[in-house]
Amino acid sequence: MSDKSLARGLRDIPIPESAGVEERGRRIVEAAFAERQHPTRGGLEGRWRLPRLALALGLATLLAALLLSPAGAAVRDWVDEAITNGAPRPEPNLARIPGGGKLLVQTGEGPWVVQPDGSRRLLGDYETASWSPHGLFVVAAKGRTLSALEPDGTQRWSLSAGKRVAFPGRRVASPVWSPSGERIAYRSGFDLRVVAGDGTEDRLLASTIDAGIPPDARISPAYVPPAWSPTGADQLAYVTGAGRVRILDSETGAVLAAAPALPNVTWMDWAAGGRKILEASPGTLRLRPVWPAGHPTRPALGKARSLPLPPDASVVDAALAPERSLVAASITHWKEHGTYSEIVVLRPGKSARVMLTVPGSLGQVVWSPDGRRLLATWPGANQWLFLPLGRGQGRAVANISTAFASGQRAASFPRIDGWCCRR
Amino acid sequence: MSELYSMHWRGAYRAAFLVVHDAVAAEDIAQDAFLAAVDALERFDRRRPFRPWLHRIVVNRALDWTRRESLRRRVDSIESVFEPLPPPGEIGSEMMAALKELPAEQRAVVVLRHLLEYTPGEIARMLELPRGTVNSRLRRGLDRLRETGRAGAVGEGRR
Repeated sequence: MSDKSLARGLRDIPIPESAGVEERGRRIVEAAFAERQHPTRGGLEGRWRLPRLALALGLATLLAALLLSPAGAAVRDWVDEAITNGAPRPEPNLARIPGGGKLLVQTGEGPWVVQPDGSRRLLGDYETASWSPHGLFVVAAKGRTLSALEPDGTQRWSLSAGKRVAFPGRRVASPVWSPSGERIAYRSGFDLRVVAGDGTEDRLLASTIDAGIPPDARISPAYVPPAWSPTGADQLAYVTGAGRVRILDSETGAVLAAAPALPNVTWMDWAAGGRKILEASPGTLRLRPVWPAGHPTRPALGKARSLPLPPDASVVDAALAPERSLVAASITHWKEHGTYSEIVVLRPGKSARVMLTVPGSLGQVVWSPDGRRLLATWPGANQWLFLPLGRGQGRAVANISTAFASGQRAASFPRIDGWCCRR
Repeated sequence: MSELYSMHWRGAYRAAFLVVHDAVAAEDIAQDAFLAAVDALERFDRRRPFRPWLHRIVVNRALDWTRRESLRRRVDSIESVFEPLPPPGEIGSEMMAALKELPAEQRAVVVLRHLLEYTPGEIARMLELPRGTVNSRLRRGLDRLRETGRAGAVGEGRR
């Protein structure tokens, strides 16, 4: 066999190509080149401005159509990998947490602590849990009992509340430890209560029905989870029955600030170094500035601004970055070819970046403690997806429900209750 | 960039496919190589030829992919959300089947030498290998192609 004949053989081998392979690549490469030629301000979050979000969504629609075709299996990889800047095929086991930190994961059997090396431990038969600020403890709830645990499951203290403190399946009802470590806010029946970090000084902060509390001070019956100031001041934001965001001094009960909340708000997050509050409803995301108005311990609430979402998008989950005014959202669209979901990173009125597009439904989106990665859950595929914001490849981990199976119960897809803690 | 893309896409895709034998992966690898080129345009020395630089990225990524893939296949049967690709018999020729029997490292140097027509010295620089290693991989690759008997049929035998 001569070199020439071998070269001819290699050139003449028929190569399979799915329809439009060259054009797909051309669009992506030319878009990347155009972006390079006309860079937007704002670093990574400026890489996808709104017109490109629209372009990406259009592309995703086309891809969703392709996914239903016989070539769908081949295209499906491309959807994942091209749009997500090269997310790999799923790894079979959770061998480590990309970017480090510890996860708190809730399953039907109870909360699990996942160490950076992927090892995991079931803490016990609790219905909901969350981290203390430095990950030294976990506050867990079951029935009418609130408990503080060490990460190996050892109980430090517990208190028995008069009413139910655990609301299974509802992340919004988890107890929340303040960043100072001094206070834990939790729901008990229709009440919002606060207890000191050592289990003492348990007291009522707000209620939906207590006649002794003025209507505007009552907590919303829909129970939007309260959010602690991340600055370390023990200030708590919650939504009142009159539809207002209110910030209280949890020590004195003094009202520090108030403003009209987003109608039908279901989720609230106070982060971005304490400078922003995120208010979320199924169709809207708003960011509200918070700043110290003439007094370092007395915050003021500014005017909330809506974040741009694609038309008809439904917000599944949203989270505010720890130090920056970036909102990660898990959104779902229904198009004629089916449902598809995206993880997008948004900034008010300025830029948006599509991190991931998949067919079907995504679940939660959680920021890493350092704000450099996102963890998106994909229950339909039984996967977790770790997505870096900067350069670098995303990682997918398969068989998530199996990883948290123990005992006789059938494994269900777990819920993330926290990613802890900043180094 | 559009011209560069038109000029080099097919070669990059073909080279990637002949190493990985997977159309979806080949598409990703070729696309990824062009995106890497876009990212590195400012740093790229324009006096140097673009083609070998692009092919270096393509073949190295293709080799990375085959290593990952073989590792993945060794780790039990993964419940992947992705459906399996069609078997090579449905999409290839005798030459394809013969190539597929070679180790990926040998496939890569055969493709670089005989499809893309780089010299062994150029291949050694692209893959950061000693020239002797490139020569031995080429020799072994060609020997194995001949041993299968298919290569002869596809090559000289078909003329």
